[in-house]
Amino acid sequence: MYFRIAKITDRGEIVAYTFRGGVHVPESKFTQDKPIVPMTVPKTVSIPLSQHIGAHCSPCCKVGDTVLKAQIIGDVEKGLGCPVHSSVSGTVKAFEEKMTPLGFKVTNVVIESDGESKLSPDVRPFGKSVNEITESDVIDVVRRAGISGMGGATFPTYAKISSAVGKVDTLIVNCAECEPFITANHRLLIENPDSVIGGMKILLKAFGIKTGIIGIEDNKKDAIDIFRGKASGDDMLDVRVMKTKYPQGDERQLIYALTDRIIPAGKLPADVKCVVFNAETCAGVYNAFTTGMPLIERVVTVSGDCVKNPGNYLIPIGTKISDIAQFCGGYVKEPYKIVNGGPMMGFAQWDTDSTVTKGTSAILFLSKEYDKQYSQPSACIHCGRCISVCQMHLMPNYIAMFASKGEYDNCEKYSVMSCVECGACSYICPGNVHITALNRAAKTKISEKMRAEKLKQEAKKAKEDLK
Amino acid sequence: MTDNKLLTVSASPHIKAYDTTKSIMIDVLISLLPAMIFAVYMFGFRALTVTLITVCSCIIFEYLFEKIMKKPITVFDFSACVTGVLLAFTLPVNVPLWLPVIGAFFAIVIVKQLFGGIGKNIVNPAIAARIFLFIAWPSKLTSYLLPHADKMSAFSVSGGDVSDITASATVLQNVKAGKDAGYSLFDMFIGNIPGCIGEISAILLIIGGLYLLCRKVITWHIPVSFIATVAVITYIFPKNSTMQAYEFMLTELLTGGLILGAIFMATDYVTSPATAKGRLIYGFGCGLITVIIRYFGGYPEGVSFGIMIMNLLVYYIDKFTRPRPFGAVKKVKVNK
Repeated sequence: MYFRIAKITDRGEIVAYTFRGGVHVPESKFTQDKPIVPMTVPKTVSIPLSQHIGAHCSPCCKVGDTVLKAQIIGDVEKGLGCPVHSSVSGTVKAFEEKMTPLGFKVTNVVIESDGESKLSPDVRPFGKSVNEITESDVIDVVRRAGISGMGGATFPTYAKISSAVGKVDTLIVNCAECEPFITANHRLLIENPDSVIGGMKILLKAFGIKTGIIGIEDNKKDAIDIFRGKASGDDMLDVRVMKTKYPQGDERQLIYALTDRIIPAGKLPADVKCVVFNAETCAGVYNAFTTGMPLIERVVTVSGDCVKNPGNYLIPIGTKISDIAQFCGGYVKEPYKIVNGGPMMGFAQWDTDSTVTKGTSAILFLSKEYDKQYSQPSACIHCGRCISVCQMHLMPNYIAMFASKGEYDNCEKYSVMSCVECGACSYICPGNVHITALNRAAKTKISEKMRAEKLKQEAKKAKEDLK
Repeated sequence: MTDNKLLTVSASPHIKAYDTTKSIMIDVLISLLPAMIFAVYMFGFRALTVTLITVCSCIIFEYLFEKIMKKPITVFDFSACVTGVLLAFTLPVNVPLWLPVIGAFFAIVIVKQLFGGIGKNIVNPAIAARIFLFIAWPSKLTSYLLPHADKMSAFSVSGGDVSDITASATVLQNVKAGKDAGYSLFDMFIGNIPGCIGEISAILLIIGGLYLLCRKVITWHIPVSFIATVAVITYIFPKNSTMQAYEFMLTELLTGGLILGAIFMATDYVTSPATAKGRLIYGFGCGLITVIIRYFGGYPEGVSFGIMIMNLLVYYIDKFTRPRPFGAVKKVKVNK
């Protein structure tokens, strides 16, 4: 229905959809013209039993079991969490303790593929049209499909829906993809816009909202054209073009740019009546309804200067990085760093055994070139660039200074807990100070302290209750 | 394939903007180049000699100090270079050649390194050294060559041999004494006046400043609020009966190193606030103190004192102009 490239503020000014702060990072979207190619099924996959925020899944298969593709291999009995499915058909070889790409220890199910990709009989279309779907249907199907936020935060989507139902009046589909290098969402928007829109409509139905906002950054011209066409005849679509700036895809900045609502510190989008879904999450919801296919593979951008054939690949969850490297033609240079996720917020991996999970939007093979400056740390020269790029309007230089001296109380005074660790300050720092890492350390220390204090108070209260 | 080979692990982000301390310092040096060339044209090669001696002594002192104290060597970030050039720019061309060496020692060792090196110094090293030299050897820093006077020998060590022939009062000294400026506003604008090596040509310094603005090395806040403050006060309260208010204002702006100070010295990152609001306040303070010293103090010019006094307040300016975090609730502290 709508296609907008600018908003009109209360004061009548016409302004772009954007936010204050942020940084222009070289886009490096080398793979934006590469169509999504399904990867050949690897010989073995190693699927972590926790790929989302919340409780770890307990396995529901044994070593030696034969599993089918899309069969549930682990589930959470109670608490926050969603099931994990096998991404191949084959035999369960072992359970191994391994670090997830984010650095938590978790049990992985190692499955040897039989190469036949036999589909589980549970995979069948939901069978109701969008209009008949109820909110509990959506929560149920989304949970069973094991969908968790695919932008990287991996919050279980069913939980997001059930906690926000009835509280929100605005649904936003996040198509910003502000991280450099990553083009997975961009390709999805071009190649399969209907799945994104379809998923959005299902979610809109669940929330009882009429129109969903699709926010796209203005560097994705072809995707914008497609969605402009889709929006013209569709009452449920409100396509808005945002200025390209990192981190436009951050929930807080996205909501602010599109709706002018500011999430109070420490609160969630639902507190300003918004709910945000990643584009690929929407597509996952759509697939879960139309085909019944759970989340067992995802679009991953493989890029960086060390890999021979960078591109966008549909990769089964649990595929090892070494298999991906092999599939992409091997290395042209020895990789110095392999990053799971985007270069600004992604996690560096320590070996090529690490796997693709539900939150992996990219695998980057970077040479030493990219790391050159960080290896020559100098000092803060107080230039104030970090302050001007901080999307949360903090003073990262002071926070980092206090953090490096261990003065965490001062860090707290300077609102370090509002830091979202987007990395813009470290990126821009001419002194090569790793501000983000220092802020992160301060945040960890402060939350440890807060937790300890809470425990103390609880203990005290319990003692008083006993008296 | 590199199976099982351990890779580098580090915290995100994994990419980096191009700008470094070094590239910024090189930009500053480039922006000072026009003024340097003009100084050589006006004062002869001795201007270059004085500048080179200052720069070299700054670099050598920094290197020696860091070597002796077993600290990482930072001379390659060119910050000592910038300090050297700025210090030389605030000296008259006829100073004895040992003077800049002492100035460089004071700037680098006492003001910069003893406080912890780059990024840690509280006041601008070049300004502090200039003030030190000014107080210790006032006569050496207050006699200037006339423009287009006979050029001094580039390597005359004492430098004093011409002082009795062509030494001259600066424009500001004339104005302060209630006399006519002695030079036209146009002369002041292009730099056809007596003065220190780098301060004379307003136009070339402004061009350098514009270069820094374009390269996003500095923001407009400090120079504009500094210069505007001086402009407004001197226009409203002119202090020389022989001149029109606007003439007096422009004279005050174009001379006495105000442009050099406002664009290059006051904007020194380390010793200026990091927020936009703070920078405006800081610029205003610099301007106010400069005018107060020029009006009521014993010295004809007050730029360096203005900047140094405001340098000392930077931490507090930053503290009180701290931006409100995005989404901060009005009452930040709940349980304290």
